[in-house]
Amino acid sequence: MSPNATLLHLHFIFAHKLTLNKNIMNKNLVALSLILLTSLLFTNCEKDDPEIPNEEELITSLSYQLSPIGGGDIITLSFQDLDGDGGDSPLITGGTLSANQSYVGSLDLMNEAGETPINILLEVVEEAEEHQVFFESNLSTVNITYGDEDANNFPLGVMTTLTTGAPDSGTLTIILRHEPNKSAAGVSEGDITNAGGETDIQVTFPIDVQ
Amino acid sequence: MFNNKFIFCLTFFLAVFNGAAQDCKLNISGQVIDEGTGLPLSYVNVLIREISNGTNTDDTGNFSFNNICEGEYHLIFSHIGCDSKEFHFDLLEDTFLNVILTHTSTSLEGVVIQGKKDNQNNQPNSSVNRQAIEDNTNQNLAGLLENQEGVHLIKNGSGISKPVVHGLYGNRLTILNNGIAQSGQQWGNDHSPEIDPFSADKIIVLKGANAIEFGSGNLGAVVLVEPKKIGREPHLHGQINYAYETNGRGNSLNARLERYTSLFAWRVNGTLKKYGDRKTASYFLNNTGLEEANLSFQLEKSWDEKVFFDFYASTFNTRLGVLRGSHIGNLTDLDQALNREIPFFTEPTFSYKIEAPKQHVSHHLVKFKTKYYYDESQTFDFVVAGQLNNRKEFDVRRSGRTDIPALHIAQTTSNIELKYTQQLKSEWKLKVGNQQIITDNTNNPETGILPLIPDYFSYKAGQFATVSKRLKNIDFNFGIRYDYELQNVVTISRGIESEIIRYKNQFHNINGLVSTKFDISKAQSISWNIGYATRNPGINELYSNGLHQGVSGIEEGDINLNTETALKNTLEYKWTPNANFSFNTLLYHQLFNDYIFLNPQDEIRQTIRGFFPVFTYEQSNATIYGLDISAQFTIRRSLFGLLKYSYLKGTNTEEDLPLVFMPPNNVYGSIVYRAEKLITLNSIQLEDTEIELNNKYVFSQNNLLASQDFVLPPSAYNLLGLKLSTNLISSHYKIRCFVEANNLFNVAYRDYLNRQRYFADDIGLSLTFGINYKF
Repeated sequence: MSPNATLLHLHFIFAHKLTLNKNIMNKNLVALSLILLTSLLFTNCEKDDPEIPNEEELITSLSYQLSPIGGGDIITLSFQDLDGDGGDSPLITGGTLSANQSYVGSLDLMNEAGETPINILLEVVEEAEEHQVFFESNLSTVNITYGDEDANNFPLGVMTTLTTGAPDSGTLTIILRHEPNKSAAGVSEGDITNAGGETDIQVTFPIDVQ
Repeated sequence: MFNNKFIFCLTFFLAVFNGAAQDCKLNISGQVIDEGTGLPLSYVNVLIREISNGTNTDDTGNFSFNNICEGEYHLIFSHIGCDSKEFHFDLLEDTFLNVILTHTSTSLEGVVIQGKKDNQNNQPNSSVNRQAIEDNTNQNLAGLLENQEGVHLIKNGSGISKPVVHGLYGNRLTILNNGIAQSGQQWGNDHSPEIDPFSADKIIVLKGANAIEFGSGNLGAVVLVEPKKIGREPHLHGQINYAYETNGRGNSLNARLERYTSLFAWRVNGTLKKYGDRKTASYFLNNTGLEEANLSFQLEKSWDEKVFFDFYASTFNTRLGVLRGSHIGNLTDLDQALNREIPFFTEPTFSYKIEAPKQHVSHHLVKFKTKYYYDESQTFDFVVAGQLNNRKEFDVRRSGRTDIPALHIAQTTSNIELKYTQQLKSEWKLKVGNQQIITDNTNNPETGILPLIPDYFSYKAGQFATVSKRLKNIDFNFGIRYDYELQNVVTISRGIESEIIRYKNQFHNINGLVSTKFDISKAQSISWNIGYATRNPGINELYSNGLHQGVSGIEEGDINLNTETALKNTLEYKWTPNANFSFNTLLYHQLFNDYIFLNPQDEIRQTIRGFFPVFTYEQSNATIYGLDISAQFTIRRSLFGLLKYSYLKGTNTEEDLPLVFMPPNNVYGSIVYRAEKLITLNSIQLEDTEIELNNKYVFSQNNLLASQDFVLPPSAYNLLGLKLSTNLISSHYKIRCFVEANNLFNVAYRDYLNRQRYFADDIGLSLTFGINYKF
């Protein structure tokens, strides 16, 4: 070490091990009483009644009205589930169609859960570009064609034409898709396979063709 | 006291002589003495940070540096088993330093460090240090823990992930941010913990039987996110970290500033992140971007070395996109999505846009902590903290309702805690404490959807006591805890006429812990840990009611659930025969009574949207057992290897079925080459240059029946990674740089614990470029 040096002392603190100290037990009581004191901070708290959200987006009822072309009784297929998801099972009403007959089909969607029913169909029509209704039947003789278009000339499916063939019985499924890919192959012809999006409605009705 | 003396010594030079103060001819030398024994200390590492020049003290405790330029320097002293200490001084002349290391309880800072060590002594744990946090600027909290033994991640896409320790997560895993139990909607598998890992210097995973002092509910594991104390540095110091990740074109920026003044010490930390769409091996994952902005502020002040005050405030704000193609309606949609190679809504172009479905979450924390040293053997800790968690989730909805959150919950939490620690005679240590947590959870009715989780108020009060004792080669730890919980819950019934139904629940929980660690020899130790814990059912388990959009299922709570109990045993064996090899194995077994889980029902419920599966919270007896093994070895002087293996099996013992959503087994290995010497390129030197090659193999989850899931678990996968890192040193600066490649071979894979696996592949090749600058 050079004689021309600066001396600098550093005191350093490292934790290896704690040595123990005197003067112990008598303060335990002070500590414990302090701890118990903080536990008295307890206050009983009740929550206020929450505001029940207005489920205006809910769809409780669907009806598909079929008016025979050339006159006759109107047939209505309907689905109603007033208490929404869960709770009671929905009420489903099928229908009997005439063989070899054409019908004008019109769809109606409602939210009847609240005091004043809300027409959901209006919302769907307003956003026609983002919605499409698909119709599927396990009867090959039942055909549905679209009778309406959105602003991009793709079908919406609120207005349709349904034709029946020979007598048979089976089912008709109505599906409403939100944000489907309407330009995907087959979608504008009513084929749901490539549509994507999410399902807002999917209900199946028993139908008889007589 | 010591610290005062230290300041005194720093300010007054004892002897000043005129020296030959020419540039770069100065010497710094000194001697390190152990205060306790008065003997010189050898093998203390001394480093001058500015010139990255380091040395060790010799047998006589001496060290020296020659030919040093005049200027300001930071000396870093480190010694085995201790955090390094840094000191600043001006070098004007040849300087001799008398350094005294103390090992006594008068060292107040030391007690703090010691206190932490002591509690975790017998607990198997693993940790992520600051260097790893800086080197993974692009990761979130869970991502940083991913490669720790026994830790897995539950993900929902790439942006949302939460840690799973030994198969437990959510309600059963406690995360402590800065000593405060993280609140928020921790029950949700699609909810990440809202913590900025950059605010931490160390993240520790305690894997033993429950750590008594960290609160109830943690049936086996605790994650601690901890900042370090602000160093005694009179100058402004800080760092900047930046990383760019190719996959997602993500930018992450972090800055930290800190300073110690005679009045108080402060630190500010800020992070910004922006990511766009991630990409799998072959297609974009649209709408998977994220934005994040976080800020934290820390202030420390002490009075007379008796009272230490610590204030911490942080805000965390994020917007996360959820893969558009994973947002589906009913079972038919799910079925369709499952059968697609590439998800619906996949676009050929990249975008930073975040649209519905998305999450906006903010989390704010304020903490006041006071530590009071009553005398040399007794300390009090008093903490008051408040948290506010605000979560909004947006779905794709009709008629402009997409901008209205489909879930909006605000939760406030207050924590009050008092702890008392006492050193007793003959190395006994006692710690007692009281913790109280008040939670207020409120749904916002603007959603127009009946809430999945009801409004509630809960009050928890816990008392604990732990006793530890250190004998010659045995550590012993015993702890007991009692918790009371009150829940005031207000639910809204479903039906034609919605009604408000109130519930009031009271629960009592007991935790107990015994652990011992035995040092067989210098090279071997064995520790055994047994813990008993009870956990009352959480609000989600009791009262969930409704459609969980993300999982396309109806989830129902059960108000008759009982408290679940768990008994966990861990046995850890460590063997370090020499400096070139270490081996660590951890065996664990956890026995559950009334384990609460979400069980798929036979019922398929019909709604106007079609059919939905129904899941109900049920209870059963269960076991989870497993094994974590790791080995580290030096292959050659500069070549190091690491090998890890994790095995886990969960069984519903009552019905003899596998437990669902348990992590698959995996093997991880890495080889690191570290350049021993500085590499010189023109005027720049490369220090600590490392090349790491790592490989992770994840087995398929075979412990599952086909009927327990919508699809079979994904097949096994193997990911290769490469990392280069170095410190660039020039005469003026030092910058750390790294380049990291993940999924090097761009493998298309799906991970069992990633819920996005139903719809899309996981992330493909990604390169990350990072720099870190400290001053």
